[in-house]
Amino acid sequence: MTKIQKAKLYLFFFILFFTVVFAIIFPRLTLPFGFSYIIYLMCKPLTRRLTTGTRKQRLINLGVVLIGMSFLVIPLVASIYNLDTDFSRLMTQLPEVQSILQEKFFGMKVKFFEKFGVRLNFDPVVFLVSKLEAQGQVILAGFPDFLSSVFEWMLLVPMFLFFFFVESKRFNEKLLEAIPNSIFEKTYVLFSQFNTKFGEYIMAKFIEASILGGLVTLGLLIVDFPYPFVLGFVAGITNILPYIGPVIGYVPAFFVALLSKDPSVSMFAMSMIFVIANLIDMVLVFPLLVSKIVNLNPIVVVVSIIIGSQLAGVVGMIVIIPFIAFFKLLFVEIYKDLSIQL
Amino acid sequence: MSYEKEQMERNIRGEAINDRLDIPLLRYLWDASPLAFLSNKESYHDFFKKVSVLNSFSDNEVRIFTKFLHRREFFTNEVIFRQGDSGYGFYFIYNGAVNIFSNQQNQSEEWGEHVIRLERSQYFGEMGLLEEFNRRSATVVAAENTVLLGIFKPDLEKMLELHPVMGAKFLRETALIMANRMGHLTRDIVALKKRLKELEAKP
Repeated sequence: MTKIQKAKLYLFFFILFFTVVFAIIFPRLTLPFGFSYIIYLMCKPLTRRLTTGTRKQRLINLGVVLIGMSFLVIPLVASIYNLDTDFSRLMTQLPEVQSILQEKFFGMKVKFFEKFGVRLNFDPVVFLVSKLEAQGQVILAGFPDFLSSVFEWMLLVPMFLFFFFVESKRFNEKLLEAIPNSIFEKTYVLFSQFNTKFGEYIMAKFIEASILGGLVTLGLLIVDFPYPFVLGFVAGITNILPYIGPVIGYVPAFFVALLSKDPSVSMFAMSMIFVIANLIDMVLVFPLLVSKIVNLNPIVVVVSIIIGSQLAGVVGMIVIIPFIAFFKLLFVEIYKDLSIQL
Repeated sequence: MSYEKEQMERNIRGEAINDRLDIPLLRYLWDASPLAFLSNKESYHDFFKKVSVLNSFSDNEVRIFTKFLHRREFFTNEVIFRQGDSGYGFYFIYNGAVNIFSNQQNQSEEWGEHVIRLERSQYFGEMGLLEEFNRRSATVVAAENTVLLGIFKPDLEKMLELHPVMGAKFLRETALIMANRMGHLTRDIVALKKRLKELEAKP
């Protein structure tokens, strides 16, 4: 390798390192940028189909961005006011929830004492409710900050999206030109595979979540369970998280069932709906849509989710899976190269 | 060749020149492009019209095909890829030349035995595009400052998705190159076997 080639290689890795450091230092820019990139990858197959063989590519891309953003922004703006009032209402209803839960727990304690003769001396309800109350106060106090960051995202995400749709080709070309010859082929192929896997994974999870959310909503509507749309939406959204998601999605419905007039009947019906919807997801939707894309061991998936949540919270839990799938590809490539050299 | 040049050459050769212009309108407009003087370089389009792989491509298909290519520049003696590397791409020599080396016995040996020199408009590495897990069978080194136009697996997949007819044509041409090479290889093996038998038969 000549001096110039070595210098190019070092410069490339220096720029890469600098970009990663920049991304870590400025999360307020990195997170909307990453979010826009995910949306871009999701919409790319659609825009590619729409723009093939036409010269009005910019116009079509702009149209897709505007339509996509209106779907995202209008419900968000409409729900912000309701979200605040609903949350405040929930906080005022908390004592009622506490008394119902305490009543149930007391009944359970009595039954336990009658059966086993042992008195339970702890009260998890008070602990849970006080924690929830404290957390609620924190959320309410941080609401203005949350609002400002929502508006910041509403400004940045369309801007980044438009950049990705209109300039990504030229940007990619420049980026690829900067890659040194010695690592070009591998980097380009891995970069393309990552983009494809990431886009396909997010899109597949999005479809899976919609199907599960739809099934839960439909089931709850049939048994006349309260808040079917909200609970179906929550079940769908939480389903994006593999393995842990269905359990988290079940919790709000569980509490709603507890508050109903006949808890045991509604709890049974609601639980059956969640079980059936998740079974359909596990047996039909997941194998057909998602598993082929990631092809990872379940233990690896669970460990990855825990690592993802430690690194970047809920967003980390969602995006870590395609990253791990990509790293698997990368390590297989490196391993194959090493085995050839040895 | 432009109309003016054609007429000038006919004049030099002493042939009679028609007193009426006899050129299609489109050709005239094409040749008379006011910006033509700006580009001295031959365009990718013109280059690929001369490359045998794309013989069956129409002008428009060649134009679309060039959009899937990556231009890579190599200095003299810069390694393009080594024997045993994972292969993902097919390269056309746009400018310059490359040397192909094979049978590298060990890491201490730099490139191996020189096999062939490929010049402008020739191509190499087509196996990398077709095989699922390709290992390069030879080392390719730039013989001089060289410009290559490469097409890689993700580009082929994209081409097949967006322009399936063109992608299929390109795959057929690439398969033909491989079939021709296989044919040559088989003939070489037969000839070598025959020669071996002759040598063995000699006392």
